[in-house]
Formats: sequence, C-alpha cells, structure tokens
Amino acid sequence: MATAAETAAFLKTIRLFREFAEPELLAFASRLRERTLRKSQVLFREGDAGDEMFLVRRGTMIISKAVTGRVEQVLDRAPAGDFFGEMSLFDRAPRSATLQAETDVELLVLDRDNLNLLIEVNPRAAAAFFQALVGVFIERLRASGNLVAEVTRWGLEATGLDMESR
Amino acid sequence: MTESAPPRPAKLELLVRGEDAESFELRQVSSAAAWLHMRPQRVPEGEFELAEVTSRVDRLPRFILKNTRTERYLMLTEPERFLWGLMDGRTSLQDLATAYVLRYGQFDFDVIPLLIRKLQRAQLLTLTPGSRLRRALARNRRRLILQMAEQALTALERINLASRRVHPVFDRLYRWGGFLLFTRLAALACVALAAAGIAAGVRLWHEADVVARGLGLHPIIALLAVKGLFVLTLALHQVVHGLALVHYGRRVREFGFTFLHGFVPTFYVDVTDIFMASRRARIVTAVSGTLVHLVLGALWFLLAVASPPGFLQAFAAASGMIQWQAFVIALYPFCFIEMDGYHVLVDALGVPTLKHDALAYVGSLLRGSPLVRWGAEARVFVFYVALSAVSVAAFVAFNVWMVIHATT
Repeated sequence: MATAAETAAFLKTIRLFREFAEPELLAFASRLRERTLRKSQVLFREGDAGDEMFLVRRGTMIISKAVTGRVEQVLDRAPAGDFFGEMSLFDRAPRSATLQAETDVELLVLDRDNLNLLIEVNPRAAAAFFQALVGVFIERLRASGNLVAEVTRWGLEATGLDMESR
Repeated sequence: MTESAPPRPAKLELLVRGEDAESFELRQVSSAAAWLHMRPQRVPEGEFELAEVTSRVDRLPRFILKNTRTERYLMLTEPERFLWGLMDGRTSLQDLATAYVLRYGQFDFDVIPLLIRKLQRAQLLTLTPGSRLRRALARNRRRLILQMAEQALTALERINLASRRVHPVFDRLYRWGGFLLFTRLAALACVALAAAGIAAGVRLWHEADVVARGLGLHPIIALLAVKGLFVLTLALHQVVHGLALVHYGRRVREFGFTFLHGFVPTFYVDVTDIFMASRRARIVTAVSGTLVHLVLGALWFLLAVASPPGFLQAFAAASGMIQWQAFVIALYPFCFIEMDGYHVLVDALGVPTLKHDALAYVGSLLRGSPLVRWGAEARVFVFYVALSAVSVAAFVAFNVWMVIHATT
C-alpha cells in the first residue's frame, strides 16, 4: 500500500494534476482508493453502471468494444500514467467500453463524491483538473476520428471495394 | 518528381474472448491478408450470360458478360474470362493469382483487382471471407470437441515468425557456396548418394529387427526425438528453395516458421517470384528443396550402416527413414497434400486447382450428380482421388507397421 506522499508524487506525473500545489495533491491523494487487478481480469464491461474514474499506476489496461459474438475491437490501451472511465463520472450513462487488464495492474480510483469534494474544497485545483481534462477529451476525439478512418480503410482494402469509380 | 510510397496495409486489432469471458486473445489482421483470403463468388447461374465474339481486326476472342438482372454488359478478355470461370466462391484470390500464372506464364499485378472492380460495379460478384474449415468449425462451436479444435487451430495459427528482409541473406549464401548446389557435379553427387543410400537401406532392412532393438527401453521417446530433429531439417529444405530462386535471378520475398493448416509445424519460403521465370526454373525450384531429404536420408543410412548395433545405429536408421519418407511425400503428388511434387504436376497439367476440382467432382459423382461429363478431365480427377486415397492408406499402414515393429 503506497503512502499519500508516494501517491501524490505519482499524481504529479499525470497531466490532470500538473497544476496542483503540493498540499492540494497530498490532500487529494489521501482520498483515492487503490485497486489491483491480475492479468486478464475484467474491471468493467461495456453496458455496466459506474461512477468512478481510474488512474493507471502500474501495468496496462486494454480498452475494447463489442463487435460480434466473442470478438471485440481494441480501441486503445491505457498504460501507466493514463486514466479512463471519466465519461461515466459525468454523464452517469452505462460504460461505453470494456476495460480489462492486459498485465498485472495497479489502479487509483476516484469516485464522484471525491470529485465533488475537490470542487467544493479547492475550486482552483478543480478548475485546473477540468481544463486539463478537456484537453485530453479533444485529443481522444481526434484519435477516435482517426480510428474510424483507419477501420474504414481496412474494410475497403480487405474487400477490394472500389468506391472511387462508383 | 518522386512518387510517394503506397500507404501500408491497414491493420485491425481484435480481442477474441474465451468461453470463460475473462481470458482473451489479441489478433492483428492486416487488410492485405484478409484480401488474399477472400473468395470471390460470381452471381448464380441464370443471373448471367456469356457470349464469345472474335474480333475481326486482331482475331482475338472476346467475351461479353451480361448481368441478366440489371441488364448490364461487360467486355472480358480471354484471361479475364478464365478468372471469371474460377470465381466460384471456393477459390481464393491467392489461388486465382497462381492459376493465372500457371496458365499464362506471367503475372500482371493489376489484372485481378481491376477485374474484381469491374465485376463488382456490374453487380456480378460478391466476396466471401476465408477458410471453409474455420467457417465449419465456427458453425459447430456447441460441440465441445470442435470448439477445442477451433481454439487449438487459432492458437497455432497465431504463431508466425517471419522476415521479409531475407533476400540479401540468401544472396550472400548463394555467393558463398550455395551456387555449387546447382551444378552438374552436385547433381552427380546426389545420384551417387542416393545409390549408396539405397544400398545401405537394403542392408539395414535385412537387419531391421536388430536395428530396431537399438532404440532401447524408450522407443517412442526416441522416435519423437527423430521427428523433432527432422522438423529442423525442414528449414534446410526451404533454404534450398530460396537458393534456387537466387540461382534463377528471382527474389526471395519471405522466410519464416508457422503451423501449416494450423497444426503442422513447418518452415516456409515465399517462392512466388519464381512464377516470373521459366517452367524449368519452377520445376528445379520445387524439386531442389526435396533433394535435401534425399541427401540427408542417404547420409543417415550410411551412418547407420557404419555404426555398431545400438542406439546410434537405430537413431540414424529411423532418421534416414523419415527423411526419405519426407522426400517421397514432398515429391509424390498423389497424397492430397499440395507440396512440391503436386505443384510440378499441376504446372504440367495446367490445372492449378486440381485437388479441389477432383475432390468436388468425385463428391458429386458419389452423390449421383457429376459436375462435369465423363471425359479426359473427369478421368484425371478420378485417377487423382483414387491414387491419392490408396497412397495415403498405404503410407499410414506402413507407418503403423513400422511403429509396431519398432516397439514390440
């Protein structure tokens, strides 16, 4: 079990918390829960309810979405220092993808209550958190667009469909 | 002005979940691999008409293909009509390319994609993905044994260690002595070794009981060791194929290790560039690799004869036997296996899908509705299937007898 100081040092390396002052980080770190997953363990599945976001402290999570039967498309990976699950934290909708440990993983868990507490107690830090989060959202939106284009290209190449002449 | 390089084939990364819903397997599928395994399927009989017209200018035959549903017409050249005839939903694009080369002796890299586009636009074609075996297994996942077979095949198929930057290595190997394999002297040495090997084999045969006892208390383990060592010599077989390519000035595109059909461990070399060379070059390339087994088998037999009765003699004799079996299987075309001898046969017959067509014909014959009328082609099909069935049965019986003989 890591100490609050160790957790704070780790959080400092994550883009969302770069603008946090040391005392703010320490206070925030002490409220995060730790969770470990063994390799292949599923954290949550697409469609599950959830109101927590997760920070990857060690290992890699694999993010996938059901395609057909037992086949899922790998959308992305969340390596150490990355985070995921924030969408359900805000929109309260079911999980949009399945998250599974590709290796043994250590996570830090931030739930909605702790996020609300951060907003109430430290609005400056919360604003910095949300600003960084918006930046990440934009990057992920762009990456999603690129993925859609790449998958479309795959389909056209694999089937030999000639769209230019249609 | 320089042309920009074509984009790399797109890849999809898929996660295939196990039955326990937690275990999973990651697979990367490139669009190029998927495309090669596609099996174009022309529209059913009755939805198209084909008429031949001969040009009065160049006297070359042309074909008019009509989609009777959409009333669209296409003009096909003779090679395109040939490819159209093969688009039966069972022949993959890779097989189409091979058939084209065997028939016309050359390959135009654009002809198949352009024809497919033309046919798709005229709504005369659909594309069906992949292996029939895998589709059959997928349909029967409820049966535990088939589900396990599918999982095992999938796992083994994922293993593919290969490199596409091997041509310079083969080029160097050829210059540093590999060229000697393609000289008259090497051919003579091969014949001499084969003769000596046969003599040694006959001598060992007469002492088979004594030789077999040399395997000692654990004959099965010893035979498995012989098989393991043999798998390594398959690499040498493929290296010689590659050297033959260099000998004829062609390019070695890939060398690697995989599980053939998902369960046979094997090394392989991509020799498709030899299709650009002469028929003689194709035959030499096909045969040269198999000669590795002839030579190694002869050497093992000679070692066995020179050794005193005991484990070494038995091991050498078993190794020689398996090498010569491999030589026969690789070169003998009638065993349902598409190996070197089969490729020489289909090259000579000009029937690139012989095995597939022959099995389909015999199947239809047994069901009482033959696909083609009895004639020269049908006779070839029946001959191929009958001889292959007898050969496989004889091979299995011989091996069963040999194992029983060695272990009792």
